[in-house]
Amino acid sequence: MSVVPAQQSGGAGGTSGLYDVLELVLDRGLVIDAFVRVSLVGIEILKIDVRVVVASVDTYLRFAEACNRLDLEAGPHRSAGLPDLVGEVTESGARGKSKGALSGAAQSISDAFQQARGQGESSGTRRSSSRSKKEESE
Amino acid sequence: MSTYVYGITAGERAQLPEGLTGIGEPPRPVRLVTEAGLAAVVSDCPEELRPKRRDLLAHQQVLSEAGRKSSVLPMRFGSVCESDEDVSRVLTEHAEHYRSKLEQLSGRVEYNVKAVHHEDAVLHLVLAENAELRALAEANRKAGGGTYEERLRFGEQVAEAVRSREAWDADLVRDTLEPLAEGCRPGPESGGWFLNLSFLVAESASERLLTTADRLRRAHPQLDLRVNGPLPPYSFVDT
Repeated sequence: MSVVPAQQSGGAGGTSGLYDVLELVLDRGLVIDAFVRVSLVGIEILKIDVRVVVASVDTYLRFAEACNRLDLEAGPHRSAGLPDLVGEVTESGARGKSKGALSGAAQSISDAFQQARGQGESSGTRRSSSRSKKEESE
Repeated sequence: MSTYVYGITAGERAQLPEGLTGIGEPPRPVRLVTEAGLAAVVSDCPEELRPKRRDLLAHQQVLSEAGRKSSVLPMRFGSVCESDEDVSRVLTEHAEHYRSKLEQLSGRVEYNVKAVHHEDAVLHLVLAENAELRALAEANRKAGGGTYEERLRFGEQVAEAVRSREAWDADLVRDTLEPLAEGCRPGPESGGWFLNLSFLVAESASERLLTTADRLRRAHPQLDLRVNGPLPPYSFVDT
């Protein structure tokens, strides 16, 4: 999990956090009629690592694949682990153990997702082109 | 030579760090145009001004420096005037308005908060919460991943669950942070975030906002919360 620093100074240069702020510099702030504003055609900023919008066929397939891989990897653990759980351990122990299985599943899905994401990034050209189209229309 | 305006601050206490430079290549020296008890933070404007990343950062950094000691009304990027005299005239004409605005925002800063989900964590969460989805996942797995249509249908349902989680978490973040702020405005519409809000907070309340955001992160590991600030009050000057 990536940890975002709690505080990123607006004055420090070069942090990704600062790029999160650029849209405010462009879209907010005081506008005075007597002042000309430069044309904003051709904006080339905000090449932020933008998450894929959750509404496309690509995303559906990616999610499905991630979930499918989770089951494949978690499957063996489940069939082998379950009888032990029922037979040997106390209730509190079982809770501990099932929690372990759960986080194991979380790990598997995380791995699957990293892979899926890696594949997604290799097709990043398409994503950024759709993004720049959006910027032009703004 | 036209004049580029970064922001407006109270004149009597206005001070700039020695050697402060702003937009342009090479960066133009930043100076003050004082008039009517106000000071505009300005520099010469380069011949060809375009919204380049470098210049946007310079704009932000000048405001950051100028606002270190007293509050400043940040201009939107790209505000240009014919001459320093024209800047003076604008300050005089609207002095009352700018002074009251500065008074109102004194001791207050903006924090911009954006949220996305850590996708691994949120997928795990929606599967854990939804037995129907788990059953579907299992059925697809048994069918060797399922047909294209089955995978598509399943993925769509997962995406639907992720979207409701986004709405739920957006409310959670807003409802948790808003009571700590004096104002709350939506950020610019930009791709990617399920939440993009700017909060106006008293400087004395900044620490509380940051620790509360930290607490949210710890309690909800699916939340990727980005907190940026303190910033000049970009989102709170245009009212």
